[in-house]
Amino acid sequence: MISRRSCLFFKLLSIGVAVLLAALPVLAQETDPDPDSPVPVILSEPDSTRALTVSPAKLVRGGRQKTPAKAFAPDQRVVLYVTNLALMKDEGANAFRVYAEDAKGHRYRFPVLDFYPINEVTGVYALIFRLHDEAGFWEPPTPDGDLLINLTWRGLASNRVRVGYGQIGGTVKDDEGAVPTPLYGTPTGQTAAPPTKDTIGYRWSGDRIRFLEQATFGPTVDLDNRLRRIGLRTWLAEQFEAPYPSAAFPYPDIDLRPTNPISDCDNANGDDVPATCFRDHYTMYPVQTWFYKEALYGTSQLRHRVAWALAQLWVISGVDTQQSSHMIAYHKILSQHAFGNWRNLMFDMTLNPGMGNYLDMARSTRTNPNENYPREILQLFNVGLFMLNPDGTLQLDGQNNPIPTYDQTTINNFTKVFTGWSFCQTPASCPSFVSGTVNYKDPMLLVQANHDTTAKTLLSYPNAVSQNIPAGQNGLTDLNQALDNIYNHPNVAPFVSKFLIQQMVTSDPTPAYVGRVAAVFNANRTSPTQMKEVVKAILLDPEARGNVKTDANYGKLREPVQLMTNVFRQVGVTSADGLTQSDGNVNRFPQALLQDAFRAPTVFNYYPPNYIVPGSSLLGPEFAIFTTGTSIGRANFANSMCFGQIAVALPDSPNGTKINFAELQALAAADTTSNQLLDVLNQRMMHGAMSAQMRSTILTAVNAVASTSPLTRAQTAVYLVLTSSQYQVQR
Amino acid sequence: MKQNRREFLIKTGCALSMTALATQMRHFGLVSAYAQKADDAKTEPGFVPSDYRALVCVFMSGGNDGNNVVIPNHSDGTLSNYGVYSAARNTQGLAIPQANLLPITVPRMGNLTYGLHPALGPQTPATNIVNNGIHELWAAGKMAIVTNVGTLTAPMTRAQYQNGSVAKPFQLFSHSDQVSQYQGGRSDVESLTGWGGRISDLRTLPDNPSGLVPMITSISGAQLFTSGQTTLPLAIANAGTSLAGVLNPQGYNATAASQARLAAFNSLRGIDLSSSVVAAASHVTDSAMQANAALQTFNEVTVTFPTTSIGLQLKQVARLIKTRTSLGVNRQIFYVQLGGFDTHNGQIATQNTLLVQLSQAMRAFYDEMLAQGIADKVTQFTMADFSRTFNPAGTGTGVVGTDHAWANHHFVVGGGITASDFYGVNTTNGTPFPTLTMNGPDDADSGSTARGRWIPTTSIEQYAATLSRWYGLPDANLVNVFPKIANFPNTNLGFMQPPAP
Repeated sequence: MISRRSCLFFKLLSIGVAVLLAALPVLAQETDPDPDSPVPVILSEPDSTRALTVSPAKLVRGGRQKTPAKAFAPDQRVVLYVTNLALMKDEGANAFRVYAEDAKGHRYRFPVLDFYPINEVTGVYALIFRLHDEAGFWEPPTPDGDLLINLTWRGLASNRVRVGYGQIGGTVKDDEGAVPTPLYGTPTGQTAAPPTKDTIGYRWSGDRIRFLEQATFGPTVDLDNRLRRIGLRTWLAEQFEAPYPSAAFPYPDIDLRPTNPISDCDNANGDDVPATCFRDHYTMYPVQTWFYKEALYGTSQLRHRVAWALAQLWVISGVDTQQSSHMIAYHKILSQHAFGNWRNLMFDMTLNPGMGNYLDMARSTRTNPNENYPREILQLFNVGLFMLNPDGTLQLDGQNNPIPTYDQTTINNFTKVFTGWSFCQTPASCPSFVSGTVNYKDPMLLVQANHDTTAKTLLSYPNAVSQNIPAGQNGLTDLNQALDNIYNHPNVAPFVSKFLIQQMVTSDPTPAYVGRVAAVFNANRTSPTQMKEVVKAILLDPEARGNVKTDANYGKLREPVQLMTNVFRQVGVTSADGLTQSDGNVNRFPQALLQDAFRAPTVFNYYPPNYIVPGSSLLGPEFAIFTTGTSIGRANFANSMCFGQIAVALPDSPNGTKINFAELQALAAADTTSNQLLDVLNQRMMHGAMSAQMRSTILTAVNAVASTSPLTRAQTAVYLVLTSSQYQVQR
Repeated sequence: MKQNRREFLIKTGCALSMTALATQMRHFGLVSAYAQKADDAKTEPGFVPSDYRALVCVFMSGGNDGNNVVIPNHSDGTLSNYGVYSAARNTQGLAIPQANLLPITVPRMGNLTYGLHPALGPQTPATNIVNNGIHELWAAGKMAIVTNVGTLTAPMTRAQYQNGSVAKPFQLFSHSDQVSQYQGGRSDVESLTGWGGRISDLRTLPDNPSGLVPMITSISGAQLFTSGQTTLPLAIANAGTSLAGVLNPQGYNATAASQARLAAFNSLRGIDLSSSVVAAASHVTDSAMQANAALQTFNEVTVTFPTTSIGLQLKQVARLIKTRTSLGVNRQIFYVQLGGFDTHNGQIATQNTLLVQLSQAMRAFYDEMLAQGIADKVTQFTMADFSRTFNPAGTGTGVVGTDHAWANHHFVVGGGITASDFYGVNTTNGTPFPTLTMNGPDDADSGSTARGRWIPTTSIEQYAATLSRWYGLPDANLVNVFPKIANFPNTNLGFMQPPAP
């Protein structure tokens, strides 16, 4: 007890020091470069917020400052002049998005056609877009007056300017405080934002917290401190080498059991040996508790996070296969290849017996072929339904229609490829084989007699690899050639890249971001550490980095698992008595919020990557499980864990779980204005981006609690941050 | 409407900030603007429907094998008969024995006898067996079957399918895409909204001017079917939770501190809306809190429902319907779902279990509507991803399953149907029931490896339009809800009585 108290004392002391340091000017210790990109500015007329639509080059040559206002017709091309950018090599039109709002408040997105520098004026670029909505959610705007137009770049929103649509004028209102941004008088180069009194924490503290939200199961004070000392790159390098699972949380070793439980392990008649036999062999309990312990306390956070993302792509489910042993063998493949090579992941996953059972490949034979796995390895896991450009956007044909990647004939041919494999059930060649059980541990084995040896025609694409597989080959040869055919399809890089970006950073990344990551994927196609480079590219991209993002569409709704683990780690999570760690039996919350870990309802995961939020044109996968019901369910989770805890209950909750408020309670007690409490929550949970209004709203409610109840004050503050949409959206 | 909402806000102490309220009002304003486009009398100011109508979509997720649900039970040599069915499925152990079929007499088929899967009739008494199932409703004239329905961009013959002269629905045989076409109500392009949601966009203001909850409700999470441009569905848990509890945030009491926390919880949703993602999340919670206020008193059902998932979902629907007067709704659309129909293997046991659950739940719901006196005002109808291959996958009773296919048979249950019969557009054999021959005239597959994937003759649009018209969607608005409806000559398949006057 004594040592624990002194530990708490030091923690409090260190917070005190941190707060003290925060008040000082930035010291010279900072070695990481500025993660913030400059905020783009659209040039306007000198005396209004109307977009400048005459080339600044002419202004420079002619010295003319004022041009007549001009209206544009629907579908017309418009040139905007943009400045205050710091571009990377090859960064062009697909790094930008142009949004418009009309007087009705409807939002539209216009396609960006071209982007190039204006030679005569350094630092100014022309951006050409078409006045033709591509979001397709609203009817096209009526050409009866000005639209407010802005652009976004790397998650940052520019100023909004007026563009006459059909005619000049109309009823749309300028943004509050909007000022003209003329050529002369607007910064054209990168300038750092001056520090203000509202700056909280260290110079890049917002970016560090954001990075940890993306790369881990939630920021902790210790991790944040470590990042500040060693920087993002060094931390990544450490994580790539970190042993996995963490030494404290080895994979559960679950022995194989028969498909139908026998009487001493069937959760009936009270005669199971041991009493937890059924729970440990026929439910996901051991997998889930292990998973959450690693997420809450593990030291190999990045690999755990990437493996979890991959588990939501290559989906199998404990709903279908009860034996928990199968999920461990499957997860080992995900974690082994999380920083490895995608082609190797494809191979091991294809022969994984859990996958073989879930998508029926283990039963697919020459005479009774099954299309399930062949279809999903293409549609869901690697290629998708339509041809993609290298930046993940849809390729369109002459009639502007998307181009299918394959048809039923292709599926039929892949179905032949994947025939002949079955569970590894022979003692000689299957080390984990146990008589009377299905072998969910060893890779599936080929029974050549069951393999369809006829010729196959596979995916067609430019310079297709192994498009035609000759008749008469061994099933393993067929399999490898087919996987080569899939792996080399041009869709795979943008498909996988976009999915991982959506899982870790933002739901609707710019094509430029997807393209940059996909290029890394492709540049490392044969590398054994391909995915390491991909993960690095995702997390260090300028669209991911920065202290604050202002693009209205940037960010992602936190999925239930992340919502829970983040608040647990940000505030601190312990056993119910506060003396040790949680036992990890916390899946009840994500389950109630429609994310029952390792028990996805279907192969389509808990939510689809292309889900559009109702009442908007917003791409928001996690919104698929965010309904009126689960939105209140999230508040009820907050209530359960802020004002209550999971009590010790044998056998499933030997330790119990609680959010440990000791530290925040001490802060609330020490400062009865609650300002320090809000400062800490702002920094830890909101990466310093809590708005003044949000802060004052919470402060009022917190101070409505008597100052003699600092615990209730701390609980109230965390409850309100946790239940706010501002927190539930990771931005 | 304003007054009602304000009353509820005051009554429950749910103090939304003015900004949050303004967000909602803007939302409703959009509904109004959109609805005003319609040119039918039913959208004239002051029109309020005189009766109640509800559609209940029962989705069989995973793709139900219709070939084993509606089966020829005759030996007529001019049509596919039981022998044809049995020959294709018996060897692998997938055929249902003729003696076990539940007979129905079908006027449209010249009064030939067809058979329903035995799961749809009486069962040996057991847990969750609470009635005799839906088979009885056929003889009672309360159940129609729409046959050979599926996704289509336009009517399509086998030759047109093979030569590509008529566009195929995109990604045939793929779960997610076929679900999205069934629910989206079009098969030419991906739809961002569902046909239930689009009806709700158009009809909320004219039909439910005093509604305190959305027109459309899902008891099975967020679904494309229930999403509109402006419609955000009510999505709540099944009857395992009371209606008063489904959307009630826990942990608040009457103390000043607790009320201050509630006030902050509510006002936070009205700020920082410059982020579209934050605003979208806040909008969902706003909508939940508003509905919560309206659901605090509700009426319990009297009929016994099974406590299966689908039973509890339909029971929750029945509670909402019984509470319709205080919720201020005249028209409602509901979505419930039963999963697990993707029977690539082990179909015999799995499909039987699921169909028993389905039949028990739908019958209990019908009986409850009868008890509420509105059996003719509420129509249940089924949808599914697709049907499954006539040719089995695998062999052996415990193993055999089926793969993804196309046209399916769907049930419509309620007092609002015209008569128990088969409905739909005729296939090549001159009846609406397909010819059960692999590589035959109705098979999309060809050659010796054809699996029996029937080409639909009736489109989702025709099926849905017939239901929508009964519900009260004006004919002029059919095209707003089903953009490709003009491609299909007949938009009324005749299985529903006329719409309410």
